Amino acid sequence: MTVVVLRVLIVVAVLLGWEIAGRLANPLLYVPPSAAVPALRDLLALRSYPDFPEHLLLTLREIAVAYGLAIAAGVGCGAALGLNRLVGRAYGPILAALYAVPAVVWYPSLMLFFGLDAASKIAFGFLLGFFPITLAVLAGIRQVNPQLITVARAFGASRLTVFRKVMLPAMLFTLVGGLRTGLALAVIGVIVGEVLGSKAGLGSLINHAYGLFRTADYVALVLVTLALIVACDAVASALERRAQRWTHLQ
Amino acid sequence: MTELIVVDRVDKRYATSSGPVDALRGVSLGVGAGEFCTLIGPSGCGKSTLLGMLGGLVHPDAGRIVVDGRPVEGPDPRRAATVFQDPGLFPWRTTLENIEFGLELQGVPRARRRAVAQELLAPLGLRDFAAKYPRELSGGMRQRVAIGRALAIDTPIVLMDEPFGALDEQTRLLMGEWLLDVWRRTRKTVVFVTHSLHEALALSTRVIVMTARPGRIKSVIELPLPYPRAMESSELVTLRAKLWSEIREESLRAMGET
Amino acid sequence: MTRRVRLLQAASVAALLLLWEAVARAGWVDPLFVPAPSAVAGAFARVGGPALGGLGDTLAKTAVAYVLSVVLGVGGGVLLGSLPRVRGAVNPLVVALYGMPKILVLPWIVLLLGFGTTPAIVYGTIHGLFPILVLVTGAVRDVDRQLVTVARAFGARRWQLYRTVVLPAIVPTVLAGMRLGIVFCLLGVLIVEMFAGVRGMGHVMSSLANGFQAPELFAATALVSVASIVIVLSLDAVNDRLSHWRGDAR
Repeated sequence: MTVVVLRVLIVVAVLLGWEIAGRLANPLLYVPPSAAVPALRDLLALRSYPDFPEHLLLTLREIAVAYGLAIAAGVGCGAALGLNRLVGRAYGPILAALYAVPAVVWYPSLMLFFGLDAASKIAFGFLLGFFPITLAVLAGIRQVNPQLITVARAFGASRLTVFRKVMLPAMLFTLVGGLRTGLALAVIGVIVGEVLGSKAGLGSLINHAYGLFRTADYVALVLVTLALIVACDAVASALERRAQRWTHLQ
Repeated sequence: MTELIVVDRVDKRYATSSGPVDALRGVSLGVGAGEFCTLIGPSGCGKSTLLGMLGGLVHPDAGRIVVDGRPVEGPDPRRAATVFQDPGLFPWRTTLENIEFGLELQGVPRARRRAVAQELLAPLGLRDFAAKYPRELSGGMRQRVAIGRALAIDTPIVLMDEPFGALDEQTRLLMGEWLLDVWRRTRKTVVFVTHSLHEALALSTRVIVMTARPGRIKSVIELPLPYPRAMESSELVTLRAKLWSEIREESLRAMGET
Repeated sequence: MTRRVRLLQAASVAALLLLWEAVARAGWVDPLFVPAPSAVAGAFARVGGPALGGLGDTLAKTAVAYVLSVVLGVGGGVLLGSLPRVRGAVNPLVVALYGMPKILVLPWIVLLLGFGTTPAIVYGTIHGLFPILVLVTGAVRDVDRQLVTVARAFGARRWQLYRTVVLPAIVPTVLAGMRLGIVFCLLGVLIVEMFAGVRGMGHVMSSLANGFQAPELFAATALVSVASIVIVLSLDAVNDRLSHWRGDAR
């Protein structure tokens, strides 16, 4: 009980501190909660940014496409690397090396190639989401207990059946974890791309508000974006739990 | 003769999710200097708790424990060293470094620590393993390092909580023989917790049998017998039967509880 | 097997470069967007100077941010890991901040601190801090209880417990965190440079992209990628040397 009380106290203290500090210092810059809430209302009532829904939808579309591509490529590459020993040992280290490069270094090249439109954001989101999914598929395949496969083969299962009935359930947990991380990163990729330079989307609105010193609107937009991210992760989390239950029933 | 360790009407209670539980109630016993005293009893009888109290890691709710005339208030590495069932060797330290651990805590200079640890290697049978890490040692070896660590600080008392519990039977038997050898040479006072009747009878000068929870002292069996012990002798066979009948009664009570 | 692996890797890279060169020369792609490898090689000489200068700048800021991240992350992690009640209260906050895309606060940081080195260092620190903090907190919390019992039984006082048990026990995790942290710090610094036009590699690449100087951009991207890979591989080597007592269980 004390822990919950402590948590609530901390949240209250932070909000209070923010309010006081905001008022004492420059409220334009620090945007105390009392200024952020009305700005949020304005945003949701489409007063501050009338075309807010279009931007939101665009961002969601970019995320969906980026994630879809990341899944397709990620599962494909992960399977190729995992199922063939030579391919895995040859390209695995290359993949790991690329993972050591901060993804944002690719962004200027993507912007040059795709321009400022949605395509560069989708490409960047795809790039970010692709890695964790590939790595998860690879790890998932590798951690399947080979004994299980031997047993299945001994009972006369074909290669396809082995994949469907043995490997897939065995690696489902790792796979779903990777899919969840992939979604989180795809979302971040799209938003980073939009903030760093775009004509439309939530990130561009954030940029716009920042550029015009509309700090309260900026805070409101950030809160909405955070809500979007939390919602995406909540959906992913729910699907993960569904997948866990399914594997146990199997 | 006043005894080295005196336990005087000690109680210990634990709070659990299903209400408070009495681990020990009114436990009184004494251990003389130079003895090899075994605590034996069914699971959950509180023998490990009692040992923890002797080592100052657990505090009694009532009663007191006096060692060498002074009450026990906390762990005192000048008074007693402990060996646990899980040897708890530091994986990042070599055998020598693990043995030195107690000395290091006491601020003994490096050269002296190293010398003490080196001297212990031969009696521990670890001469070729001085620079090895725990993951390179077998279970029996690790326990010997743990015992070496306890011996290195040269305390009058050594407390051992089922030190051979995690080992296979053959290793256990050999380790028991080895421990006896070490004890007879160093003449320390040993308090030894075990489940094993064989160990109690083969190693101890005194066996203390505890009841099922809440733990009390059921009986004390003196074993003024010479070493090494002929376990097939009629005397020991009778003693074993007697010991088992006492413990069996308590074990059944403990099992009935669950 | 290793020889075949090396052969496959070399052959793939060579084939990719040749294909790329052929495609570029045949005119199937616009050289403005996709320069031939030969053009990129040539660009190294032209862009070398400013690129290396920018890289040096970026790495300097990253180094400062990195030191701060490690000190705060390890210190904070040890603190949080040791105090279960504080941890219980603060943990949700930490996890939330960890999962939040830091880019959302970047405009605000730039508003607050202006353009220049300071926001880059601050943002880089924030980026690198959280993974280290979370990892170290977990490691301190998960220290083998038996080792602590042993140390206490041998009379260790509080500070001795930390010196002889907790700190050596968390070394592998600290190293893992440090390896993760460097990529995150570099990422953060680059993002600030791209966003706020601050001196450094991020800005160099951004400008090259805006100026449609594709060969130079590719060259610069390759440069910073190689630098990053070298840094991470060096940290891995250090990690290996310090963890020899763990053997294969890394």
